[in-house]
Amino acid sequence: MKWNSRIRCALACLAFTAVFSGFSFRLIYLQMIKHDEYAGLAAEKHVYKQIIYAERGAIFDANNEVLAHNVPVETVVADATHLNNLDAIVDLVGDELKISARELAAKLRGDRRYIVIKREVPKALAAVLREKLRARNLRGIYFEHDATRIYPNGSMLCHVIGFTDFDHRGIQGVEASMEEYLHGQDGYRYIEHNCAGQEIVLYRGQERAPRNGYQVHLTVDLNLQNIVENEIDSAMREYTPQKATIILMRPQTGEILAMANRPNFDLNLRADAKPEQMKNRAIIDMMEPGSTFKIVTAAAALNERTVRPDSMIFCENGVWNFGGSALHDHRPFGELSVQDILVKSSNIGAAKLACSVGEQKFYEYIRRFGFGERTGIELPGEISGLIRPPQSWSKISITRIPMGHEIGVTPLQMTVAMAAIANGGKLITPRMVKSITSDDGKTLSSLSPVVLRQAISPQTARQIGDALRGVVSDRGTAAAAAVPGFTIAGKTGTAQKVDPKGGYEKGKYVVSFSGYLPADHPEFVGLVVLDDAHTNKPELNYGGLVAGPIFSRVAEQAARYLDLQPHEEIRKALPVERVALTNVPPR
Amino acid sequence: MNRSRHRNWNRVDAASLARWIVLTAFLALAGLSYVYLTLQLYHLGDRKKALENDLASLRTQNDVASVQIAALTSRSALQRRLKEGYLKMIPISEHNIVRLTMPAPPNGEDAIQPVANQPAGR
Repeated sequence: MKWNSRIRCALACLAFTAVFSGFSFRLIYLQMIKHDEYAGLAAEKHVYKQIIYAERGAIFDANNEVLAHNVPVETVVADATHLNNLDAIVDLVGDELKISARELAAKLRGDRRYIVIKREVPKALAAVLREKLRARNLRGIYFEHDATRIYPNGSMLCHVIGFTDFDHRGIQGVEASMEEYLHGQDGYRYIEHNCAGQEIVLYRGQERAPRNGYQVHLTVDLNLQNIVENEIDSAMREYTPQKATIILMRPQTGEILAMANRPNFDLNLRADAKPEQMKNRAIIDMMEPGSTFKIVTAAAALNERTVRPDSMIFCENGVWNFGGSALHDHRPFGELSVQDILVKSSNIGAAKLACSVGEQKFYEYIRRFGFGERTGIELPGEISGLIRPPQSWSKISITRIPMGHEIGVTPLQMTVAMAAIANGGKLITPRMVKSITSDDGKTLSSLSPVVLRQAISPQTARQIGDALRGVVSDRGTAAAAAVPGFTIAGKTGTAQKVDPKGGYEKGKYVVSFSGYLPADHPEFVGLVVLDDAHTNKPELNYGGLVAGPIFSRVAEQAARYLDLQPHEEIRKALPVERVALTNVPPR
Repeated sequence: MNRSRHRNWNRVDAASLARWIVLTAFLALAGLSYVYLTLQLYHLGDRKKALENDLASLRTQNDVASVQIAALTSRSALQRRLKEGYLKMIPISEHNIVRLTMPAPPNGEDAIQPVANQPAGR
């Protein structure tokens, strides 16, 4: 009996020990071996990663005027499984967000659980809607933080600024090229919710603050841009060209002061814009430059010392047969000096200058001026133009390329080439971005001018500059480009439009003028290009008569804005209107 | 009789009782404090959250106001108002313009430019 009770007692103890050992082992297994797995599963139920959104950086002009910034908005979404009174929700939400009840009901009755009802809802409107939903105890509608990009100046500088997509990624202009700086880095915070869905602040976990995007300051001066935009608009009204481009650039630093293209579009209404309106023609349009290209030809010949500025070239009295093809001048010329070839814009003279240099050397000079390669401006989609190597030239190419045919250049390349003449032969990389700052104003990067190469000697640049002054005189082709009180150097261009089917389109021209002011110490270089301008009389469709006066008006206003001191000796220059009527410049 | 009744009474150890009372009170107080402080933490957390929301709301209002200011003072808006006649601009007459002497151009690109600080009238 005594033995039995002891055995029973021992067995009971053993059983208890075994049971509790089992519990202990299970506890150790769950708490230690499977800890991470179950902790993760528990965290999934309660812990959420809350995204703290970073703000996209703003874009400013050279004077800190806002060009692009953000406005906070909300995206109204619905969780179809949480909707408790569909009809009432449709009535209220449709009424507040101005969506037709039928459309909204169809959306909410769809198969999907997550439904975007409306994007870019103003904060104030979202707050009103939120309150009304709460007051009527309607559930299933949620509000997500978002921001939309606002461009206060609408269409001004639209091709340069560009725009962003729904995900706030830049897809055009500076918005795209400076994406890595403008786009901030979102932060996060691990939080826990209670059963009512409210955050329990006490249990906040790991946290990382967001880094807002950097602010980009452009070299563009909105005052100069405004001058350019007004003039390009009046040119569009007056001449109704297919396309137009005006560029202003500071030759010493490569800073782009203004850049305008037509057709254009309103950045705030970009959804309505056509692809043709969105093209930044200054960098993605290729054109035959026409006679403006003669500066490269003359520079090559002078720099190679095959001729001197006063060397006389026989211009064949207007017709020169070369390679089995006749080359014409707009007017017969006999002997012309190298300077006068530019002043009078003689095609034959330019061709003979190129012949004196030779195909290979001439090609080298074309490349030295930056043609055939991207300029490197901070804008996306820039093309390099089309310059064929001498091996692909025909027999007559050496006579056609010098006058700006058989090549494709962008308006910006042409501006940069003219800037090299204005800048003592130094080819500068054009720049659109002046500096990058953090949102507290600290400068992170300040970009300085980049001299690509010495394209020609300073002496040659001076000689070309002297000749270009003659172009903007009553002797030259661009008297109408003159600005009273200032000496201007420049060159006109009138190129027949290339027909996509082959050959040239009759009666259609790309007219241009490229010049700088003041000629002695250039403050800015300008280019005006009009594609297929319409004039009252076809014989008036020339660079000097159409693009020249536009340049004159832009340059005059820009000089006034930049407070440039006029030269007293030419203060009483011929009025532009009279000059335009009394001189019929050649092509 | 009285003596035997005295002998049967349980004696209370006052010192021990006091110790227990103090210990219990201390533990109760500690427990209550813990609960109170925990509730305070929750309460402060809620206040922190409310302040964060207020701050975010103020930032939003500030952003919206900045956007409105930028929109109303933008060049396009001012030009529109000028056209509509809400603003008027008077051109500066030539005799009211004072031009500063242009500094001499530098010799080289990296040359140091002197400051034009000569007193006027000398």
